Amino acid sequence: MLLFWVLAALMTFAAALAVMLPFLRRREEATAGSAHDLAVYRDQLAELEQELARGLISRPDAQQARAEIGRRILRLQEEEKAAGQSVQARRAGTVRAIAAAAVLAVPAVSWGLYAFLGSPGLPALPLAARLNADPAQAPLEELIARAEAHLADNPQDARGWEVLAPVYARLGRFGDAAAAYRRTIALAGPSAARHAALGEALVGEASGIVTADAEAAFAEALGLDADNPRARFFIAMARAQEGKTEEARALWQQMAAELPPDSPWREMAGQAAASLSAAGPSEADIAAAQDMSPEARREMIEGMVAGLDARLREEPGDAEAWRRLLRSYVVLDRREEARAALQRALAAFGADSREGQALAEFARELGIDDEGR
Amino acid sequence: MSVELGHFALVLALALALVQSSVPLAGARLGSPSLMRVGEPTAIAGLGLVAIAFAVLTLAYVRSDFSVLNVWENSHSAKPLLFKITGTWGNHEGSMLLWVLILSLFGALVAAFGRNLPPTLRANVLAVQGLIATAFLAFILFTSNPFTRLVPAPMQGRDLNPILQDIGLAIHPPLLYLGYVGFSIAFSFAVAALIDGRIDAAWARWVRPWTLAAWAFLTGGIAMGSYWAYYELGWGGFWFWDPVENASFMPWLAGTALLHSAIVMEKRSALKIWTVLLAILTFSLSLLGTFLVRSGVLTSVHAFATDPTRGVFILAILVFFIGGALALFALRAAALAPGGLFHPISREGALVLNNLLLTTVTATVLVGTLYPLVVEAVTGEKISVGAPFFNLTFVPLFLPLLAVVPFGPMLAWKRGDLAGAFQRLHLAFAAATVVAFLSFFLVDRASALAALGIGLGLWLVFGALTDLAVKSGVGKAGPAVALRRLKGLPLSVFGTALAHAGLGLAVLGVVCVTTLEEEHILTMQPGQTVEAGDHRLRFEGLRPFTGPNYTEEQAHFALFGADSLRRGSIVSSKRLYTARGMPTTEAGIRTIGLSQLYVSIGDETADGGLVVRVWWKPQVTLIWIGALVMMLGGMVSLCDRRLRIGAPARRRAEAAAGEAA
Repeated sequence: MLLFWVLAALMTFAAALAVMLPFLRRREEATAGSAHDLAVYRDQLAELEQELARGLISRPDAQQARAEIGRRILRLQEEEKAAGQSVQARRAGTVRAIAAAAVLAVPAVSWGLYAFLGSPGLPALPLAARLNADPAQAPLEELIARAEAHLADNPQDARGWEVLAPVYARLGRFGDAAAAYRRTIALAGPSAARHAALGEALVGEASGIVTADAEAAFAEALGLDADNPRARFFIAMARAQEGKTEEARALWQQMAAELPPDSPWREMAGQAAASLSAAGPSEADIAAAQDMSPEARREMIEGMVAGLDARLREEPGDAEAWRRLLRSYVVLDRREEARAALQRALAAFGADSREGQALAEFARELGIDDEGR
Repeated sequence: MSVELGHFALVLALALALVQSSVPLAGARLGSPSLMRVGEPTAIAGLGLVAIAFAVLTLAYVRSDFSVLNVWENSHSAKPLLFKITGTWGNHEGSMLLWVLILSLFGALVAAFGRNLPPTLRANVLAVQGLIATAFLAFILFTSNPFTRLVPAPMQGRDLNPILQDIGLAIHPPLLYLGYVGFSIAFSFAVAALIDGRIDAAWARWVRPWTLAAWAFLTGGIAMGSYWAYYELGWGGFWFWDPVENASFMPWLAGTALLHSAIVMEKRSALKIWTVLLAILTFSLSLLGTFLVRSGVLTSVHAFATDPTRGVFILAILVFFIGGALALFALRAAALAPGGLFHPISREGALVLNNLLLTTVTATVLVGTLYPLVVEAVTGEKISVGAPFFNLTFVPLFLPLLAVVPFGPMLAWKRGDLAGAFQRLHLAFAAATVVAFLSFFLVDRASALAALGIGLGLWLVFGALTDLAVKSGVGKAGPAVALRRLKGLPLSVFGTALAHAGLGLAVLGVVCVTTLEEEHILTMQPGQTVEAGDHRLRFEGLRPFTGPNYTEEQAHFALFGADSLRRGSIVSSKRLYTARGMPTTEAGIRTIGLSQLYVSIGDETADGGLVVRVWWKPQVTLIWIGALVMMLGGMVSLCDRRLRIGAPARRRAEAAAGEAA
C-alpha cells in the first residue's frame, strides 16, 4: 500500500523530469532546416548522375532535371536569408511560464484523475495466491467459490457437498442447498438427518411452504429415524398449512412433551403449537394447491404473501413473520417490495432496537440492502 | 506488482500526452528551442508508461487476477498460457491499449531517431502524435478502462471467445495495428507540414520509410487475418468483403497510393499537395476502420462489445482529426509550392495513374462498405452489399491497374518511352501469354477467364523479374558484369520487384482458387471415400477428444494420392468450449504442394452418417505467400540506407568525427 504510493510518486517525478529535461540542458541552438534540404538535393543530384549512367533518363532530360534541382537549391538559400532577417524575439517570460505550467500539469492531472478513476487501496489478487491463502482470512463468498471450484473438479467428494449444503442454506441459496443435499444422499447414502435437511431446504425454496417434494423428504427421514425432530416439526407444519390445525397442534404438543429439555426443537414446537390460530389459508385453498401447475402454485404463493403483507400492516409486531415476508419477496425476486417491507419493519421496531438490527442483518444476508437510509 | 500501478501509469501517460500535444506546438510558434524539445523526452517517457500499463495488464491475465473486471470478462484460469497472454488484446479494452502502445512506440521512434529533422517540423510532428495519443488515452480511461476493478473478485473468469483462442490472435491484431497506427506518422508529418506552412524534400524522405513500414505490417496483418478466417471459420473462403475486412483494406489501398506518390515527391519534388492529402486520407481511413470496428456499428467477431458511449466518443475523435486535418489542408494547401514538371508518359505519370486507380478503388470499397450503414440509418432497412457488388466494381478497376504495373519501373523519369518499355517487356509478355494459352488448352475445366487471370498474374511476376534484368543489363553486358551490376542495385529496386512479384503471386492464387476450385458436399458413412483433386479421402469415423478447456468430436480421414498410396490423414473436428458452451469448427487442412485439401464437418445424420464438405483448393497458398513476398519487398526496401535516415550518411560521419575529436 505504502509501496504503491512511493512508486506512484517516483513515476510522477520521472514524468515531470522528462518534461523538464530540455530546460535543464540549456543549449539554445538550432540547426537550420535548410541544411537537411540541401543534403537531400545533393543526393538527388548524385542519383540523377547514376540514373544517367544506367540510361534510365535521357541526357537532355537529365540536364533539365539538374537545372530544376539547382533552382530549388537557390530558392532554399533565399528562404534562409529571409528567415535570418526575421529572427523572432524570444519572449523569455512566456516560455518560462509555459514550462512551469507544463511541469506542474503532470502531477496535477495525473493525481487528480487517478483519484477520480482509481482504486488505490485494492491489492492485486492473482488466483494462485488466493487459492494458497489462509482460508480463515477469506470472506464466506470466497470460501464457497473455492469449495465450488474444488467440487467442480471432484464431483464425487461427498463430504465436500455435505459441508457446503448447510452453508448454502444459511445464505438463502436454498436451490443450491437442496441440490447439494441430494448429491450427498446419492454419494454417501441416505440418513434421517440428510433427508430432513433436504426437506428444510425445499421448504426454504418455496418461501416456507411445505411442498409435496419436501414432505416426501421428511417422510423418508422419519422412515429412517421416527424421532428425527426436524422432520417431525415440518410434518406438523405441513398439516398446519393444509388447514388441519388440530392435527398439527397435537403433533407439536407431542414433540414438546417428548423432547429432552435441552433440545432447541422442544421450545420451537411449543411456540408453534401456541401460535396456531385461525389465521392462515383455508382448507379449500390448500386442497387446491395440491395438484397445481408451477405457475398456478406461484400465483397462490404470491396470494399468501400478499395476505401476510396485509396482516403485518395491521399487526407489525411479529419479527418472525417479517422475516418470512422478506424471504418470500426475495425468493419471488421482488426486491423492491422486499426493500419497502424492510423499511416498514424497521419503522415498526425502531432501526436501532435489537429486533430492528437483527432484521437489518437478516436482510443483508438475503442481499437486500437498506438503501432508503 | 499492483494492478493499480498500471492504472496510474496510464493516467500519467495521459498527462504527459497533454503536455506533448501542447508545449512543442507553443514552442514552434514562439520560436523557443527548449519548448520545442519537450516533445522528445515526453514521447519516450510516454512509451515507457504505456508499456508499464500494458505489462501490468498482461501480468493480470497471466496470473488470472479476476479482481480486474476485464480479466474476469475475458479469461479463464484453465486457458493455456499463450491464450492468456494474447487474451490481453482479444477484447475491446485491451486491444485499444495495444493500439495506444503501438502509437506511443511510433511516437517514441520519431523522437529517438528524428534528430536530423528540422526542429519545427519535429516539434509539430510530435505534438500531433501527442494529440492523437491524448484522444485515445482519454477514450480508454473514460469509456473503456481495462483497469476497472471488481469487488469481490470472482474465483473464475468467463473465458475468451473460443474463435479467438488461436495462434492467429497472437499475430493478426499486433501486425494490423502496426500498420494502422504506422500511418499516423505520415498523418502527423502531413499535418505538421500544414501547420508549418512549408514542405520540403526532407519531408518526403522522412515520410516514406514510415509509410513503407506501416504498409508492410498492414499487408502482413491483412493476409494473416484472411488466413485465420479461412481456417477457423470453416467456410473455406479467404475473403468475404465483410465490412470489417474492408475497414482494413481501405487504408491498405490508400497507403499503397501514398507509398507511390511519396516516391515521386522524394525523387522529383512533385505531387506535394497530393501526397499530403493522401497521408491525411490514409490515416483517416485507419481511424474510420477503428470507428467501424470498435463502435459496434458493425456487429461481427471483431466488435467485442457494443456500447453507444464508446461509439460517440470514437466518432468525436474521428470528426476532430479528419475534419481538423482537412480544414487545415483547405486553408494551407495553396501555400505549399508545387514542384517539378513531367510528361504524362513518364515514371511520374505512371505513378499518377497508379494513384488515380488506387484512390478510385478505395472510394469504391468505401461506398460499398458505408452504403448499407447509410441505408439502414435513413430507411431502417437492412441490406448487405457483398461479393457481387465488389466483383462488378472493384475487379474491373483493379485489372487495368495490374496490367500496367510492370510498365511503371520501366519508364524513365520526366519523359518516358512507352515503345521502349514495351520492347523491354516483350519477353515477359510472351511468356505470360504462352502459359495462359497452355493452361487454357491443357488443364481441363480451365475457362478463358481463368487463363486470362493466370496470364495476368504471371505477367506481373515476369515483369518484376524483367525489371531486375534490365536494370542489371542482362543481354547487353556479359553475365559476370550483369551479376556485378545486379549486386550493386539499390535495395529499393529489389523491394519494388519483390512487391510487384508478390502481387502477381497473390493474383495467381486468387484466380486459381476461384476458377478451378472443387467443392463436394456429401453425407459420409465410415469407410466411404470421396475424390477431390487428384486425391481420395476415406472417412474413418468419429472419435471424442478432450482438450484443456474444450471437448470435441474428431472426424478422422485417410488420405490417398493419385497412385492409391496412403498419404497420411486429415482430422477435422467440431469443438465445444465448456466455459461458454460455445461450439466452433476446426477445419482439417492438408497442404499438398501449393494447393490445399480442406475438410470441414457438419452434423451427424440419423443413420450414423456425417455431413462433410471437402474442397480442393488449387494453388490457394499463393494468396498468402504473395502477401508475404509483398511484405518482404517492403522490408527490403526499408533496409535501403538512403531511406532509413533523414540526412545522408555523410553528415553522420562528420558528426561522429566531430565527437571523436
